[in-house]
Amino acid sequence: MPSATLLGQSVLSGVFIGALYGLLGLGLTLSWGMLRQVNLAHFALAFLGGYLTFQLSARLDPFVILALVAPVFFVLGMALHWFFLRFSVTLLNTLLVTFGITSIIEAGIQWYWTADFHRMENAYAAVRWKLGPLFVSLTDMVTLGFALALALGTWGVLRFTDLGKAIRATTEDAPIAAAFGVNEKLLGYLVSGLAAAVAAVAGLCLALNHTLAPVQIYAWMGVVFAAVMMGGLGRPIGPLVAGIVIGVSEAITMAVTNPTWAPLVSFSLLIAILLFRPARF
Amino acid sequence: MKIALAAIAAALIGLPYLGLPAFYESFGYLLLSAIVLATSWNLLSGYSGYFSFGHGAFFGVGVYTTAALAGKHGWNFLWTLPLAALAATALGVALGAIVFRVRALRGELFALLTLAITFVLATIALNAVDGGPGIMVNVDMPRLAPTASGVLYLLMLAAAALTLWTAYAIYHSRFGTGLFAIHDDEDVAEVMGVPTYRFKLAAFAISCALAGLAGGVHAVFVSYVTVAETFSIALAVNVVLMAALGGTRHWLGPAVGAVAITVLLYAFTGGDAAVAGRALTGLILIVVIVAMPQGILGQILKRFRTKTPSRAVVRTEDAPRQAVTATTGPLLVARGITKAFKGVQALAGANLEVRRGEILGLVGPNGSGKSTLINVVSGHYRADAGSIRFEGEELVGTPAHRIARAGIARTYQIPRPFPQLTVLQNIALPPMFGQVVMHRAAAEREAWRWLEFTNLSDKAHRYPGELNLHQRKFLELARALASRPKLLFLDEVLSGLTLSEMDGALRLIRAIRDQGATIVFVEHVMRAVMELTDRVAVLTYGRAIAEGAPAEVMRHPDVVSAYLGTAHV
Amino acid sequence: MYEVSDVTVNYGAAAAVSRVRLRIEPGELVVVVGPNGAGKSTLINAMAGLQAVASGRLLVEGNDITREAPHRFCERGIAIVPEGRRLFANLSVRENLELGSYRAGARSARAASLARVCALFPVLAERMDAPAGALSGGQQQMVAIARALMARPRFLLLDEPSLGLSPMITGDMFRAIREINTEGVAVLLVEQNVAAALGLARRAYVLEEGRIVAEGDPQQLLSQPQIRKAYLGIGA
Repeated sequence: MPSATLLGQSVLSGVFIGALYGLLGLGLTLSWGMLRQVNLAHFALAFLGGYLTFQLSARLDPFVILALVAPVFFVLGMALHWFFLRFSVTLLNTLLVTFGITSIIEAGIQWYWTADFHRMENAYAAVRWKLGPLFVSLTDMVTLGFALALALGTWGVLRFTDLGKAIRATTEDAPIAAAFGVNEKLLGYLVSGLAAAVAAVAGLCLALNHTLAPVQIYAWMGVVFAAVMMGGLGRPIGPLVAGIVIGVSEAITMAVTNPTWAPLVSFSLLIAILLFRPARF
Repeated sequence: MKIALAAIAAALIGLPYLGLPAFYESFGYLLLSAIVLATSWNLLSGYSGYFSFGHGAFFGVGVYTTAALAGKHGWNFLWTLPLAALAATALGVALGAIVFRVRALRGELFALLTLAITFVLATIALNAVDGGPGIMVNVDMPRLAPTASGVLYLLMLAAAALTLWTAYAIYHSRFGTGLFAIHDDEDVAEVMGVPTYRFKLAAFAISCALAGLAGGVHAVFVSYVTVAETFSIALAVNVVLMAALGGTRHWLGPAVGAVAITVLLYAFTGGDAAVAGRALTGLILIVVIVAMPQGILGQILKRFRTKTPSRAVVRTEDAPRQAVTATTGPLLVARGITKAFKGVQALAGANLEVRRGEILGLVGPNGSGKSTLINVVSGHYRADAGSIRFEGEELVGTPAHRIARAGIARTYQIPRPFPQLTVLQNIALPPMFGQVVMHRAAAEREAWRWLEFTNLSDKAHRYPGELNLHQRKFLELARALASRPKLLFLDEVLSGLTLSEMDGALRLIRAIRDQGATIVFVEHVMRAVMELTDRVAVLTYGRAIAEGAPAEVMRHPDVVSAYLGTAHV
Repeated sequence: MYEVSDVTVNYGAAAAVSRVRLRIEPGELVVVVGPNGAGKSTLINAMAGLQAVASGRLLVEGNDITREAPHRFCERGIAIVPEGRRLFANLSVRENLELGSYRAGARSARAASLARVCALFPVLAERMDAPAGALSGGQQQMVAIARALMARPRFLLLDEPSLGLSPMITGDMFRAIREINTEGVAVLLVEQNVAAALGLARRAYVLEEGRIVAEGDPQQLLSQPQIRKAYLGIGA
C-alpha cells in the first residue's frame, strides 16, 4: 500500500489529467451534443496544435503561439462544418469521415515530426510549488485553469446569454427556433469554430505537460469519449467532472496496482453506467 | 459458372505446390486475411448497420489465445484455432449482451464503445498474458504444404472460404433479411416480427468468431506477437475502409474492397511510404463515404439492376384460410390502458373491444390517442398500466416481435418502408417472421400475391423511395397483410389520397376483411368511416367515450361536442 | 395585412394545400376550421416559414416573403404558436420566453413584454424557473402563446391551441386570445374545436382537402349542414 504522500500526489496528478480530459472533451461534447457530429478529428487537431506549439516554441512564447493558432483552428472548424453541410453527412458518417481526417492529420504529423517522442522545453515547466507535502507544477495549473475557465465560461454563455439559449433551443427544435429568429447555420459555424479553437488550447496544454507522439492521438480517444458520455452530451462541465473522476480513479489504480491497468478504468466505469443507468443514453 | 469457380478454387489451392517464391504465398496470405477480416466485420456492421470499430480487438484476442497457448505453453497449434475463435466469440457475446439491450445505444455510441474495447483488451493482454516484451510463437507446422508459408496460406484460404460461404449464406437467408431490416429501421423490424436482439447478438458472435480464427493463424504468421502491433487502430480503420469501399450491402463487397486496399497498400510499405499510405487510406475513406456510399460493388450492381428481372409467374391461388380458432368471444380486449410521455397523458385508461371478423372504426379528434393505442397494442411502446388480451394471451410486456408472431399487424400513419429493401423484399419480410414462418421462396410467392392485390406488381423491384405517397401507403398495406394477420390495424391509410384512389382503397379493405381478417380502422375521413365500418369506437383525451353502430355513435351528444367542440367564449 | 395568394404546399407528390387565398387584415381575428387532414397545419406552417411553398405567394404589407429564409419570418412581424406547443422542453419557462424575444426588434422591449404576458397568464409568474417540459398541458399552451407574444408580432398564428386541453382551460385560453386581439395583434386561429372558434371570430374560412370551400360569417357557417357532414360524416 503506497504512502499517503504518494497517494495524495497520485490523486493530484489524476485531477490534472482529468482536467485535460475535460478540455479535450469540451469541444467534442459541444459538437456531438449540439451539432450531432462526432468529431474524432478533434484529437488529431489538438495534437496538431501541440506539435505546432512545440515547433514554434523556440522562437515564441507558447501562449503567443496559442493566440496565433487558435484563430486558424477556428476557421478550420468552420471549414469542417461547411463540409458536413455541403455533403449532408449523417451522424454516423461524420464519425467515419473524421476518422479519415484523423488518419490524414496523423500521417502528416508523423511525416513532419517523425514517430519519435518529443518533449517541449520551456521555462514554465520548471516552475513548481509546494502544497504541503505535495508538488504542483505551473503547467499543471495552466491546464486546470484553462479547463475550468473554458468549461465554466461555456456553461455560462449557454446558460445566461441570448446566444447560448439560442444554441440550446436550436439543439432541441431547430425549425421552431428558426421561427423565432435563430439562424441555425450561423450558430453551427460558431460552435464548430469554437470547438476547434478549444482543441488548440488543449494542444497547448498537451505540449506543456506531456510527451508528444503521433500514436498517442488514438490513445486518448477512448478515455475522453468515456468522459463525454459519462458527463452527458452537450454539457460543458460534464466532461470535466467525469474526466476528473476517471483521472483520479486511474491514478489511484496506478498507484495501488500495476500502472498498465489504467486504461481499463474508464471503460469499466462506462460499462458500469451502461449496466445500471442506461437511461442516461 | 460452376466450372469457372472450380477452376479458380483449384488454382488457389494449388498455389503452394507450384514451387513459386515464398513472396506469392505471403502476399496471398495477406489478401486472404484481409478478405476474412473485412467480410466478417461486414456480417454485423454492414448488414445490420451497427458499425464496430473494435474488430481489431477480437482479431487480437485470437492472436493472443494462440500465442499464449501454442507459443508459451506449447499446445498443438491447430487445436488452438477453434479456441481462438471461441475466446473472441465469448468476448463479443458478453459485450453484445450488455450493449444491445440498451435501446438508445445505436450507431455512434456502439462505434465508440467498440473502439474503446480495443484499448481495454490491449491492456489486459499486456498485463495478464504478455507481460511486456511480447510472445514468441514457434510451432511445428502440419505438413500440408512444402513450406511453412504455404501451410499458413492454405489455412487462411480455408478461413476465407469459410467466411465467404458464411457471408453468402447469411445474405440469402432469413437471418440476413432480418439484419438488413434492422439496418433500415430497427423498431419497425421488431414490430414486423424480427427478433432484433437475438439476431444482432448472433451476427456479432459469428463476426467475432471468424476474426478470432484469423487471429489465431496470424499469430503463427508473424511468429512474434506484441501488444502494440496486434491491437493497433490501423486494423480497425482498414477493415471499415475495405468494406465501405467494396460495398457493405453485398456479401462479396468487402472482399472486393479488401483486395483493392491490400494491393494499394502494398505499394506503400516501409518508412515514409507507410505514412503516406495511412494518409491515403484516410482520404479514400472520406471520398468513399461522401461520394460513393454504396461502394464499388454497389455502384456496379446498380448499373446492372436497371433491367427488371423476370418475375415469378404466380397464379392467384385461393388464400388458404387461416385456422379459425375455436374460441368464441372478442378477439382483442384492452382494459385501462395508460401511457404518458414526458408529462403528456396520451392514454388515460382506454378500453377497447374488437370482435372477430368486424371492421371497427377508431375515431377521435386530433391528439386523442389513437395512434398511441395502436403503438401500444403492437408493442412499439410499452403500456404504463392496463391489460391487453388477444385470444386470451396477455400482450402488455411482450416483446413486439412476439406480438407480430401472434398475428397482429399494423400500418404506419406516415409510411415506414425499409428504404434499402425493394418493394418485394419489404412485403416478403413479415411472412418470413410472422405466425407461420416461411422460408424465402415461399415468402416471396406470398408477397407476389399481395403485390397483385394492391396493384403494385410492376413496382416489385423498385425501391420505396421511387414510389409516390399513394403507392407507399399501399406498400404499407401489402406489407401488413403479407403475414396474414388475424388482427390488422390501419392507421390513416386514406389521408393524402385523391377521391378515386380512396374508392380503390375502400374496396381493398373490404376484400381483406372478406378473406378473414379483423380490421381496426383509424381514420379521419368520415365518409369512409361511415361506409366501411361495422362499429365505431370514439377516443378523446386518451379514453374511449362511445362504442357502437356508426350512425348512432356519431350522433351521440358527447361525441358531437368532442368533435365540434362547445362554445366557450 | 398578411395575404396568402394562390398558395400550394405539397405533401409528397400530392398537394396538401391547393391554391389557397386568404388574408388577415390588421387587428383582425380570423379563424380557419376544417376536419382533420384538411391541411390546416400545413397552411399555417407555410405562413410561418416552417414549410416551403410550392407555388403562390405570401405577402406581408405588400412584401413578398415567400422565398425568405425561415429565420427571417419573425422580422416581418409573424409569430407562431405551433401545434403541440413545441416548447423547448429542457429550457426553463423564462428562457423559452426570452427566446421568443430573440429577434432584434423585440429584444429591447423584453422586460415590458414579460410583464405583459405575466399579466395575461398569472400562473406563469409562479413557474418561471421550472423546465418547460415539466408543466401541464394547459400551462405549456400558455407558455407557447406567451413565447409568441414576446416576439411583439403583428400577426399571431395559432395552430390548434385547444388540442389535448380540458374544456375549462380551453375557455381561459380563448379569453386570453380575444384579449390579445383587442390589444391590436391580428390573429389567425386554426382550430378543430369549431364551436368555440367560431364564437371568437368575425370572419372564418373553412378548409377541406386542401381547399377553401367557404368563407364568411362564422354563425352562418356553423349552421350549415356541410360542416357537420365534413366533421361527423352524417347528413343534416
